[in-house]
Amino acid sequence: MTNLDEEHLAARRILAVTEQELQRIILDIHDGPVQKLFAALSQVSLLQTHLAHGESLDREWVVALNRVSDLLESSLAEIKTSIGTFRPPEFARRHLLSVIEGLIIQHEEFTGCRVDFEPRGPIPEVSLPVKIALYRILQEALSNVYRHAKVQTVIVRLAAREGKVRMDVIDDGPGFTPPPLVGPEATERAEHIGLRGMRERVALVGGEFCIDSSPGAGAHIVVEVPAHG
Amino acid sequence: MADRIRVALADDHQLVIEGLRGLLSSEPDIEVVAVAADGDAMLIAIEQYRPDVAVLDLQMPVRDGASCLREIRRRALPVRVLVLTAFSDGESIQSALEGGADGFALKTAPPRQTVDAIRQVGQGNLVFPPAARKWLQGHRPGQESPPDLSSREWEVLELAAKGLSNQQIAEALTVSENTIKFHLQNIFQKLGVSNRTEAAGYYFRVRKPSTQ
Repeated sequence: MTNLDEEHLAARRILAVTEQELQRIILDIHDGPVQKLFAALSQVSLLQTHLAHGESLDREWVVALNRVSDLLESSLAEIKTSIGTFRPPEFARRHLLSVIEGLIIQHEEFTGCRVDFEPRGPIPEVSLPVKIALYRILQEALSNVYRHAKVQTVIVRLAAREGKVRMDVIDDGPGFTPPPLVGPEATERAEHIGLRGMRERVALVGGEFCIDSSPGAGAHIVVEVPAHG
Repeated sequence: MADRIRVALADDHQLVIEGLRGLLSSEPDIEVVAVAADGDAMLIAIEQYRPDVAVLDLQMPVRDGASCLREIRRRALPVRVLVLTAFSDGESIQSALEGGADGFALKTAPPRQTVDAIRQVGQGNLVFPPAARKWLQGHRPGQESPPDLSSREWEVLELAAKGLSNQQIAEALTVSENTIKFHLQNIFQKLGVSNRTEAAGYYFRVRKPSTQ
């Protein structure tokens, strides 16, 4: 297979990841806020009907209004995560460090988890594709840790050396056996599409990607990319 | 409660303005003195009505909230700013912090929280989600070089970081308000920051964590 074919396939798989993420968000909105808003509106209609018939509603009013209020409140809270995830930072204007900090603030805000960010030494300016790749990889990695590892703390390290930038994402969750991501044995399973997407993003900017994990031993993702890949 | 907190609201969504205005009308210590539907109109309203607190939506036509916030700080308008937005993504929180907002409230949280945030900001407190407070307190160890602040400047910085207004700091240190403004200008320059929020962020970073 030529490089061009590989890049083409990689780009398609990255699109597939984005598509999958969109589907998940649409489902979240459908299963959460839509159902709750419908229920809240039903309660309001009921109250309006009672009112139209001139019925007394003293105690029922309070109970029903409280229910409506709770339903609306939790719908808003659920919408919050859905609409935030897709808003990208201003990549062109921000330095890599600032982009990563913003993502960490956002992840902590959405999940209540803690991310320890440890930048080491000066981090050089990187090319736009590298910045975006590192952002998306970290986003996927943090989301994986949140969904699967269920740990309270994640460590993110960032360092630069000899024209390369290295990012480590470390959690002490339950760990897993990393599936093969390249070659004829490469995993095609739906739950591994995110991992393949990460590896492919790294490959597209000429970098290296590795996962060190085994059951019971947490997970450690290492990404190393040329600053101007 | 002494004086009422005078508030100006800027949002291009009429429904949000109506809702918030209705809710605030039942708060005896808060008074809405102006509303605006875009950033430019808000700047005029602030100049004209001199509110204590400006509530700014980030997404607005003509001039958005982030740009309005920068302009408020550039003109040094004496108003505290609460950013109120539907988005709690990193970019929104960062632009509020960097622009020197005094607080950040969410339309996706119960509106009562926004009312509380207006009151808190009106009283001189910084109101940010926990994730952003870490940013205010800094988490890049080893990257700060200690600036050359005089002991009086440290005092002023400490009081400003605790949310006191220039007038309150002047009273606490029994000097004139102009002296405080002068000190703050020097402090901002030495710290390389452009507003109180960033200066407060610096203060919390260098202060010992155990004293929080």
